[in-house]
Amino acid sequence: MASAPPDKLSPRGALPPLGPVVLVTGKGGVGKTTLAAGIAEAAAAREGRAVLIEFGDGESGKRMLGARSKVAHRVVDPRDAMERAVANILGSTILARLFIGNFAVRPMLRAAPAMRELAMLEVVRIYAEEHPGARVVVDMPATGHGLAWLRLPVQMRDMFASGPIHDLAQRLIDRLVSPSRCSVVVVTLPERLVLSETIELCRALEVEVGLPPARLVVNRFPRDLPAEAWDAARAITARGGESAPAAQQLLRMLDARREAQREALEILGSAVKTSLHTRPLILREQMEDPSATDVAAWLTEEGAA
Amino acid sequence: MATKVPVTIVCAGGGGVGKTTSSAALAVALARTGKKTLIVTVDPARRLAHAMGVEVTEEIQPAHVEPAVEGKLFALMPEPRRSTPTFAKVLYEGRPDDLARVMKNPVYLTMADAAAGMHEIVSLILVAKAIDEGDYDYLVIDTAPSRNALDFVSYPGRLAVLFEGRAVGWLGNLASNVAQDDRGPGLFASMEKRVEAMFGRILNPRVLKDLAQLFADLALIKDRFARFARMSERMLLGERTRYLLVSAPTGSAQADVSFLAKRLARLNHEPTALLLNRSDEREPEWIAALRAEAPGWPPLAEAMTQVEHEFQVRKRAGDRLSAALGKELVRVPQVRLPTLESPDPAQIVRELATKLEPHLATLVRPIG
Repeated sequence: MASAPPDKLSPRGALPPLGPVVLVTGKGGVGKTTLAAGIAEAAAAREGRAVLIEFGDGESGKRMLGARSKVAHRVVDPRDAMERAVANILGSTILARLFIGNFAVRPMLRAAPAMRELAMLEVVRIYAEEHPGARVVVDMPATGHGLAWLRLPVQMRDMFASGPIHDLAQRLIDRLVSPSRCSVVVVTLPERLVLSETIELCRALEVEVGLPPARLVVNRFPRDLPAEAWDAARAITARGGESAPAAQQLLRMLDARREAQREALEILGSAVKTSLHTRPLILREQMEDPSATDVAAWLTEEGAA
Repeated sequence: MATKVPVTIVCAGGGGVGKTTSSAALAVALARTGKKTLIVTVDPARRLAHAMGVEVTEEIQPAHVEPAVEGKLFALMPEPRRSTPTFAKVLYEGRPDDLARVMKNPVYLTMADAAAGMHEIVSLILVAKAIDEGDYDYLVIDTAPSRNALDFVSYPGRLAVLFEGRAVGWLGNLASNVAQDDRGPGLFASMEKRVEAMFGRILNPRVLKDLAQLFADLALIKDRFARFARMSERMLLGERTRYLLVSAPTGSAQADVSFLAKRLARLNHEPTALLLNRSDEREPEWIAALRAEAPGWPPLAEAMTQVEHEFQVRKRAGDRLSAALGKELVRVPQVRLPTLESPDPAQIVRELATKLEPHLATLVRPIG
């Protein structure tokens, strides 16, 4: 499943170690969940235990991990998270329910999601502290939302100069969203748009959140076709005749793939020279979707787990 | 004000399924029939935008994809990172002082920036404004690539509830008490109601003050917002709305579609059709044609073996996806589209549009 990374990015030096909490983010549909599950699997295989935290309904993580996984799977529900965080502040679950259920508070909280998201981060912190010594992997929301989420503790701490929300935000900064506690893993695809968004995300993570990505994984990197196939396709096109249009189709496909590879390497190459701190990991396209165990094996082989 | 209510096609699906490209292709196919069409991309792909000859901004622009759709196809691709200022700019149009105050309010900036659905709301408001100002026959909305994509249907309503109910008055009063009488944390000691006291314990006076100002400022544009919210709701849940679920044989795409179909059912809607991307049904003719040439060219033979293998794997995955979704969404027609590889995104859009043409009647038919 793994193959040699392309020449330009090839130094296979050691990668920085991952923190106890690993936050996986990237653009929608790039394979975040698969990678998050893979990192958790690799940790479970090595250390016997790991936690995968997911937001939403928990279906994706469950499907990726499979029934026999040793990874503990936790799903954070926004409503429960809010109740838990408010109960912590008020010192009582009953009071928290009364407050959240209030006719005026309820619509305000629904319309002002920042509070809900802060509460969800707080639950991640609680889970992480409940599993000391275990690798905790969080399948984060996609780029824009994920970044806004990670910026939230500092924003909220500054907005609330004092009081319980200020304290909660400060606690999140000290014990969760800090370089000593967590590592960010960014997943991307070899497509121009996705890559430029990724580079922007990496810079923003470093500059705005103080968490430069510890890993950058390029998923679905096109596999090579034999270079001489170009010459053959060009010769058939030049010769004309019945097969020429077919050869042109093949040329188009070969060009599309080479262009995708070239663009990816060029964009990543320039990022590595400027702000990116990590060697990009290239996961070659497999026609069938890889399982979490496949990804775990690949990560271990790359020395990236 | 526009008299025409366009037929709206909402495209929804998980990430990485080629939703943006196929939505653009659908818009091109509709525009080819001579109808005035607007494509709105909530999460724009800059490369595709450039290929269609438009910029990523809050302005509607004529798209340039091919001569056949000149003057018929328009695109709106708002920049996601600008939604916090755009929201305020659109709602406070003609009120520069109020706009400046809102843009300085830390509560607004933090909340709007972190709000998950903010960009969708902004896009909807821009669309509502657009159809208010121009006569479109078709409106194609490419939603954000997420399971929550359809939540935005309920955002306008949710915010409207906040404005229409007792909540704003209560919060406004509570907050304005603080604004007038800023004596610090002891302030709420005399308050009788428990919830009010809890509010005081959870928030702090400074924030309540900014919150009060924000509510007062929002009250100014309440009617304008409510009008856009009602228009968006009609646009998204009206009888001229069609829902197209887009999937592809990858990752969680199938589970995402089932999830979205259930979500639609709760909104009393059903998918008009399923669009299955990268789900090749038959081998492209060029593969067979080149295979005939292969014996004379060993590297070509090797390449063709790999291409053919890839195609077989894709076809199997497409068949599996189609069968699974067919079983689950029995009454929903499927349109399967092949994998197209080209270095030019505009070419892919044009070719997909041609593939969609025979299915247009299915894709825009009324439901029920």
